[in-house]
Amino acid sequence: MSGRTIEISGRKVWILESGNGAPLLYLHGFADVHSVKDSWLPFHEKLAQRAKVIAPAHPGCAQTDENKDIDVIEDVVFHYLEVFDALKLTQFNLVGSCVGGWIAAEIAARHPEKIRKLVLIGATGLFVEGALIGDVFMMAQPEYGSSYASLREMLFSGVNQPNALELFPDGKGDLEDEVRRYQMLRFGSRIGFKPPYFYNRPLRNRLHRISCPSLILWGEKDRMVPRVHGETYARLLPNARPLNIIDQAGHSVHIEQPEATARMVLDFLAE
Amino acid sequence: MKPVQLFCWHFMAYPYLDKDFDQKQYSGWVTVPNSLWDNHKALGLYQEYIDQLAYADELGFDGMVLNEHHQNIYGLMPSPNIIASALTQRTTRGKIVILGNLLPLHMNPMRVAEEYAMLDQMSNGRLVAGFAPGGGPETFNYDVPSANTREKFWEAADLIVRSWTEDGPFAHEGRYFPLRYVNLWPKPLQKPFPPVWIPGSRSPSTMVEVAKRGYCYFLSSRSHGGETHRAQQEFASVLEKHGDRYHPFRFGILMSTYVAETDQQAREECEEGVWYFLKNCLKGHLRREGRQLTYGPGVPYIPAAAWREYLKGYTPGRKLLGDVENWQELDASQSIIVGSPETVYRRIQNLIEKAKVGNLLIQFQLGNMPDHLARKSMKLFAEKVAPPLRHDSLQLFTREFPGANVEHEAAEALH
Repeated sequence: MSGRTIEISGRKVWILESGNGAPLLYLHGFADVHSVKDSWLPFHEKLAQRAKVIAPAHPGCAQTDENKDIDVIEDVVFHYLEVFDALKLTQFNLVGSCVGGWIAAEIAARHPEKIRKLVLIGATGLFVEGALIGDVFMMAQPEYGSSYASLREMLFSGVNQPNALELFPDGKGDLEDEVRRYQMLRFGSRIGFKPPYFYNRPLRNRLHRISCPSLILWGEKDRMVPRVHGETYARLLPNARPLNIIDQAGHSVHIEQPEATARMVLDFLAE
Repeated sequence: MKPVQLFCWHFMAYPYLDKDFDQKQYSGWVTVPNSLWDNHKALGLYQEYIDQLAYADELGFDGMVLNEHHQNIYGLMPSPNIIASALTQRTTRGKIVILGNLLPLHMNPMRVAEEYAMLDQMSNGRLVAGFAPGGGPETFNYDVPSANTREKFWEAADLIVRSWTEDGPFAHEGRYFPLRYVNLWPKPLQKPFPPVWIPGSRSPSTMVEVAKRGYCYFLSSRSHGGETHRAQQEFASVLEKHGDRYHPFRFGILMSTYVAETDQQAREECEEGVWYFLKNCLKGHLRREGRQLTYGPGVPYIPAAAWREYLKGYTPGRKLLGDVENWQELDASQSIIVGSPETVYRRIQNLIEKAKVGNLLIQFQLGNMPDHLARKSMKLFAEKVAPPLRHDSLQLFTREFPGANVEHEAAEALH
């Protein structure tokens, strides 16, 4: 794993990379590389065994400069178009988890020609009536003296399982990890705090433009993004595989079932 | 020089909750079920509270203070301007301090500029214009995205003051509130414009922005230990860095008090209201029980670097004001000062001496405190506590701040 900084329009973007093979661009979510740890999680290591994984940190996350001009998802899409230009990435596999999945879908809808294959994991982004995406901001506020129990509950299948407690610990945790989680919430607040809550109504009617093969992965017990969102992606993406439900996992399938999830992604990309 | 300015702050709590509210309900804020509102009981409630504020004016307080909160039992003033409007017609002397309108919650800041200008006219130049960014609860119930709240807030605040001072029409080419035709009718009465107060919780950046503009800084903390004194020192040093000088009327604090004939009687009379306030009104705001909405990573409105500094001094799960378990702990917090006139005078004077603070914004009615007790406490305060506080503070301020021009930021009415 190596990290480096690139510059786009005078702003620094922090990128982690490793592995060989076809480029796999990974966009992170709330419980993920850059937002809870400064290094790969086991899931990314497994991906890097068979792909060249490139994971930029979102604006304001890790060592990527904050961008005060981000108000809506469109601004994030343009940020990433500049990142792709700087990296000279013309066609690549795009994998996104949680809000990273939303960003991936938005990019793919605008520039389908850039995307070889698309993988969405527990992706936000769609408006589905009666199935609001969970409020991570409310859940990130302390409850009964616990810093993160509610967020663990929302992001994992079990509130007190070891991997959840390790990444979202109560009590005085590591200061830099604490700041990392905060940075991700701050980035998320720019695009998903107010209505639309982590969705973009027009996206649904743009998905038909994404003609590449796509794979949708969802945790069996996702309590942040209701499963019907996954079903909707799978139905509206023209070349999507049937929705793939991963057992014994909540929203963070890549953390709770890293082997199975990585294998599904890699097998799909290799087909 | 002038003596300490004593203001009566009313929060207008919902006082009719059942005794088991704390056991049964998760929060007093944002999600507190509004099925608990009882029209039958609440009939006349606003009148009672407005009458108490008018009584403060009769008793010779220097002003009345109102503020804005939404969806909670702590304060029933989603629009303090409506109460202020009533006060312009019910009172004649004291300042009407609105601390403040929550600017990021208003889609167009000109609405605030207009309403404040109206209130200044209607009150004969008695308005103190407070601007506040809103805290965690308001972030949730008005869906204010946190990351750019501060920038939005200062753009709105500056636009409002510009609209008061610069002849229109002019175009405001702002990042958040671009407006082609800014042309305020009416203008405020006070010149150059009504005094502006800004609340903060010791964030250095807020102090800097307040200092740059020459406004009054108001510490929003409810507890007064060493932090109040430190906030005063920090603000004084920020002012000096900006070529300005601290004096006591650049600074204000919020406190609560209850005065009765003796210490014992004071405690007995106010205790029910105090616990109602601490356990019910602060639940969701300044308590660990339920969800604490006011501070936390879910309302990330300060930059990451400032959050890192904040975390260094933060203990997760620590007790907040509403978590005090007994009277002794409450007493030590210096948040609610209860006692005989002598006791209350001594303790407040001590606070003034330490914190060099000239604006005391004092809450008298607490929780479900009955009208007659709130009034009795206000009257005793006005007759027995205020005179020695004024006398001693005038001496103290004259001695410690010689040559300070305390009127220079207090605008003069044109009449």
